[in-house]
Amino acid sequence: MSEFTSAQEVNPLAADPRAARAGGSIFRAQCATCHGADAKGIQSIEAPDLTLMFTRSESTDASVFRVIREGVPGSIMPPHAFPDAEIWMLVSYLRSVAIAGTSAQIDGDPRRGMTLFNLNCSRCHRVDNLGGSLGPDLSTITNRRSQDALTNSIRNPSAVIARRYKPVTLVTEDNGRIQGTVKSEDAFSIQIMDSNQVLRGFRKSSLQEVIHEDISLMPSFTESVLSGEDIDDVLRFLQSAR
Amino acid sequence: MKTTLQSNFCIAVVIWLLPTTTFSQSIEGPSFEDLLAGFSDPNRWLTYSGDYSGTRHSPLTQINPTNVEELRPVWTFQSGTTTRGRGWETTPLLDEGVLYVTGSNNLAWALDARTGRSFWQYRRNLPDDLTYGASAPVNRGFGMLGNQLFMVTLDAHLMSFDRRTGEVLWERELADYQIGYSATMAPLVVGNKVIVGISGGEYQTRGFIDAFDPVSGERIWRFNTIPGPGEPGSETWPNDPQILAQGGGGTWMNGSYDPDLNLIYWGVGNPNPDYYDENRPGDNLYTDSIVALDANTGELRWHYQFTPHDVNDWDSNHMPVLANIEWEGEPRRVVMVGNRNGFFYVLDRVSGEFLLGEPFTATTWAREIGDDGRPIIVNDGSLGCLPDPWGSTNFYPPTFFPGLDLFILTARETCATYVPELPANTRGQSNFGGTVFIDAEQGYGALRALDIHTGNLEWEFTYPSPTFGGVMSTASGLVFAGDHEGNFMAFSAATGENLWHYQTGTRIWGAAAITYMLDGLQYVLIPSGTTLTAFATRMP
Repeated sequence: MSEFTSAQEVNPLAADPRAARAGGSIFRAQCATCHGADAKGIQSIEAPDLTLMFTRSESTDASVFRVIREGVPGSIMPPHAFPDAEIWMLVSYLRSVAIAGTSAQIDGDPRRGMTLFNLNCSRCHRVDNLGGSLGPDLSTITNRRSQDALTNSIRNPSAVIARRYKPVTLVTEDNGRIQGTVKSEDAFSIQIMDSNQVLRGFRKSSLQEVIHEDISLMPSFTESVLSGEDIDDVLRFLQSAR
Repeated sequence: MKTTLQSNFCIAVVIWLLPTTTFSQSIEGPSFEDLLAGFSDPNRWLTYSGDYSGTRHSPLTQINPTNVEELRPVWTFQSGTTTRGRGWETTPLLDEGVLYVTGSNNLAWALDARTGRSFWQYRRNLPDDLTYGASAPVNRGFGMLGNQLFMVTLDAHLMSFDRRTGEVLWERELADYQIGYSATMAPLVVGNKVIVGISGGEYQTRGFIDAFDPVSGERIWRFNTIPGPGEPGSETWPNDPQILAQGGGGTWMNGSYDPDLNLIYWGVGNPNPDYYDENRPGDNLYTDSIVALDANTGELRWHYQFTPHDVNDWDSNHMPVLANIEWEGEPRRVVMVGNRNGFFYVLDRVSGEFLLGEPFTATTWAREIGDDGRPIIVNDGSLGCLPDPWGSTNFYPPTFFPGLDLFILTARETCATYVPELPANTRGQSNFGGTVFIDAEQGYGALRALDIHTGNLEWEFTYPSPTFGGVMSTASGLVFAGDHEGNFMAFSAATGENLWHYQTGTRIWGAAAITYMLDGLQYVLIPSGTTLTAFATRMP
C-alpha cells in the first residue's frame, strides 16, 4: 500500500556475503539501542527478539523489509527512510543472526518418539495443542534450538530456565507450600501457574514467603531414564510435528 | 426568550464581579509573582515542579500517613495516544480547576480537574520524517503565564496557545528537526521569558538553551552548551569546528530557578557520539554538566561537570534541586543532583563549589569523587557492571524532604558492557557509536532515601525490575512514587514503609505525581500508560 513498498519480493543481496556484515554495522548504529547489540531485544522496553523473527513461518525477506521501511504503527518502531540497499543489508544481517534451529533431519523414530513424549513430557509440554502448559509449547522448538541444545535441556533442565517458566515456591499463612512457575511479579503481588496448571494470583501480604528456586520444575532425564537414542526419537517426533 | 434572559443575566454578573480578585485571577491567568509564590496557593500547580526549587515537596497535609490507605481513584482520563517503549512523561499544570496537560505525539488538553472531562484538545500535524522525535515521541508538560501556555514539539518548535481555547498564538522553530533535533521538555517561565531546551544529542546537533519573549515570540538569548572555536571550554575539545558543531549536549529537561540570585540551573546531556570517543579527546564541556546561567542574559555564571569525557550516554538532564540548608554548621544555598552516573552531589549554588559526591548505586565506573570534584575513574565500561545507558537514575523527578534532610529518588541497579565502534555520522540519523550489552538477569530498581549531608542510604524499598518512575513528597510525611510494574505507591518519608499502593495497569515511566486542593479535598494525580488518574480519600 505504501509508496515505499517495493515490488521486490526477494533480497537482491542474498548471495552477497558482504551484505550481512554491512547490515550489522547499520544495525548497531540504528537498531541496537532498542533491539540490543545482539538483536535479542530488550524486554524492559518491549523491543522484540529479532533472532526469532524467521522462526515464524509468515516471515519472509520482503515482509521484514516492509517492517523496517514502514515501521510498526502504534508502536515506538518508526518508519525508516534508508536507501533500499541498506534495508536489504539489514535483512541479510537479520537472516545471519536468526536462530537456525535444527535444519537437518534428526536420525530417530518419530512413532517411538511420540510414545516416549506422551509418557514423559506431555503432562507439562504441548505439541499441536495436545499436552500440558506448565512448560513451554514445543510444537516449533526444533525451528529455534539445535539438537545439542535440546538434548542438554532434557538432561539438565535447570541450566537455563526460560523467562515465564522460572520456578517458585509460595509459603502460605497456614504453612502450605505451593509450587509453580512465575508469570508476573511486582512488589506487592505474584502471578503463577501452579504445579496443577492452574493460574493463581496472590497478594504477597497473604504469604509468609516467596522463594525463587534455582531448580526447574522439570526433572532431569538421565541416561537411565531416557537413552541418547530415546532423546533422538523424541526430537525426531517434535521435528516431524512442526 | 428564556435563554436570552439568562445570557444577559450572566454578562451582568460577570461585569459586576470583575474587580474582585477571585475573578480577575481567572481572567488574567497567573502572573510571574504567582509563579514565584509556588506552593503558597494550594489550589494551583503552576510549574513543572510546583515551584521553582525543583524539590517537588508540597506543603499539603490533608492526605497523611494515617488516612492514606483510604486513597481511591476518583476519575480517569484516557489520552488515546500510545507511547510504546517509553511512557506518559508529563506533569499537568492546574489553575482555577482546570488541568493543562500535554501528551505523547504532541497532543494536549485542557481538562476539568473535578471530573477529568475535556474542554479542548490539540493535536499537532507532525511531519512523517521526524528524526529523534520519532524514537521518543514524548512531552513533559506545559509552561504557563497569564492566559498563555507554552509547549515544545517533536519537530523542534516552541508553540504558544491561548489556554481558554487551545488556539495557537504563535510558533517558532528552535532548530532543524531533519538534522536530528527534537524537543520534549516542559518550558520554564521566568519573568517575561520562556526558557526551553533541545533534544537529539546523538545526532549531528549542538545543544542550547533559549529564552523567548512570551508575547512577541522573539528569541531574547541563546546559550550554546558546546562552545564555539576559541570560546571558553573549547580547549576541552579537539580544535575542529566541525566536531564542535556536532558536539551534542542536549538540554531536554527543564531547570530550576533561584529568584534571589536570578540564576537558572540546567542539566546538559551527553557528547556526540555517545560511546565512540576517538575523535573527541578532552573533557568535552559542557556535556554532562550543570550550568548556572543569568536568567536575564543567558550568561554562564558557573558550571560543574559530573561525567568528564562521557563514553556511557550519561546525560545529566536531571531536575536540579535547590534548598537552603545548614552545611557543616553554616547556612548554605545548595543545589542537589542525583546523577545518571550513580553519584549523589551537593554543590554550593552561589559559586558552584563541590561539597559532596557519594555513590547511591553499585556503580563500578568510579567509587569516589576526589577533593577537586573530579571522579576517580575505575573502569571505562569494558569490564562490565556499570550502570547501563539509562543510568543509575534518570530525568524523572526526585524529591527533597526538608525536615528530614532526605533526598529521595528512584535508583536503577543495572549491569552493562559498552563496545564502541566508529559511527557512520549521517545527517538525520542517530550516532551512538557502538553498542551496549545489558545483562537482563541482574537488574532491579529501588526507591532510595539519602541523607543529604553524607549521601548515606537511610532507607530503601526495592522493586523487581529497574524502574523509571518519579517521586513527590508532601509535608504530612508522605512520599509518592511509581514503579515499572505499574504500581502507584505511598510511603512513610521517615521510614520508607509502604503505606498504600494501587496497580495502574502499566508501568509509570518518566512521570512524577502532582497534588493540589480542590473544593477542600486533596487530590493526587499520576499519568500511567494512556491514562491520567486522580486519587482522593473520598469521592468528591
